[in-house]
Amino acid sequence: MPCDTCPAEVRKNAKEDVPASKTILNLAVSVGEILLQSGGEIYRVQETVSRILEAYGIQDYHVFVVTNGIFATVDEQQDDAGSMVRYVPIGEVNLEKVAKINQLSREICEKNCGAAEAYERLEQCKNAPGAENPALIFACGIGSAGFCYLLGGRPYDSMVSFFLGMMLEIFLLAAAKHHASRFIMNIVGSALVTMGSLALYGAGAGILSDKIIIGGIIPLVPGVALTTGIRDLFSGDYLSGSIRLIDALLTGMCIAIGVGAAIKLFQLSGGVMLR
Amino acid sequence: MILQVMVAMAATVAFAVLFHVPKSEYFLCGINGAIGWGVYLFCTGHGTGKAAASMWAALTLTLIARIFSALRKMPSTVFLITGIFTLVPGAGIYYTSYYLIANELSQCVAKGIETFKIAGAIVLGMIFGLMLPQSWFNQLRKIKRESEEEK
Repeated sequence: MPCDTCPAEVRKNAKEDVPASKTILNLAVSVGEILLQSGGEIYRVQETVSRILEAYGIQDYHVFVVTNGIFATVDEQQDDAGSMVRYVPIGEVNLEKVAKINQLSREICEKNCGAAEAYERLEQCKNAPGAENPALIFACGIGSAGFCYLLGGRPYDSMVSFFLGMMLEIFLLAAAKHHASRFIMNIVGSALVTMGSLALYGAGAGILSDKIIIGGIIPLVPGVALTTGIRDLFSGDYLSGSIRLIDALLTGMCIAIGVGAAIKLFQLSGGVMLR
Repeated sequence: MILQVMVAMAATVAFAVLFHVPKSEYFLCGINGAIGWGVYLFCTGHGTGKAAASMWAALTLTLIARIFSALRKMPSTVFLITGIFTLVPGAGIYYTSYYLIANELSQCVAKGIETFKIAGAIVLGMIFGLMLPQSWFNQLRKIKRESEEEK
């Protein structure tokens, strides 16, 4: 809880050679930034930043987090007042970073971790490698194939979906490298899957093209935005929750546009759809 | 059905890889996804609609994700995000846009509304699951610790 009654004395008692409030604020906000970027919920970011500040003896603070920004001030009433604003663009979901930061903040709160060590660990979290590209491509293929089967495809269709899923992830990785807009990535990605499936179908491969397309677009479906948005709304962060849910809605529409455009193209070129 | 559940597990693990879940949690993520899909199949097999089945499955997924998160000291998002992918209405999105292009508007509207219903049902299920107080789940952690100490 923020309180404005003379925290300086308390802090002196808490620990010797305490780092300056700016250093602590920077640490706490940097931790929050990675958490927010990697797909943490708003309340988790807010709580983590607050707890880190508290663990280092700061009692007068305010933290405000929205989907793409963190605002924080410490010791507003005193000489060492500090404030910080960070713009945090929505990044790639990386749950390993979320888990690692969670662990780090737990240790900081148990006072097992000095500020210098915390900074070091933070750098490690930032540079956590995550899964390699080949693993991602393979996983995307497996995911597509799995959902193709679950939603009514035959094993033969799943195999086709596997390759289309891998193709999709290769495209997504390449597009992310060139900082393509997320709208374009979703539209083109879903169109790519649909065209691939319809082309094979048109060539007489005897596949259930609709099941393959459904399996193929599942990696694009806004599951993360939906989940995080609901959790944000539930914990009272209506602004951030609405941003996420709008994101989910737009992503869903983009997928529909991509699929629709590809089907139209197929029909214009004289193909007859499977009913 | 067993094969379906196993495929759901494999697919969930694939999504765990895509979202860079720590390797030690792959298996539990898969279990969560498999249970979610199992509940969905069970419900649709017993005459509930797709939306109601999604709600029950989302509720189960959320509770299990919270139990796993308490036991493994992991953020519950890790299990929830990966598990929920078995339920998101990808098929609904496809059929909605397909019927729109095919100019079968009544079908398109029906599918579109069904898609929104499923998404809403997932929201409801998750909200019911999130409503239980965290302290109950922390009890689980305590029980686990005590049983480990006895050993």
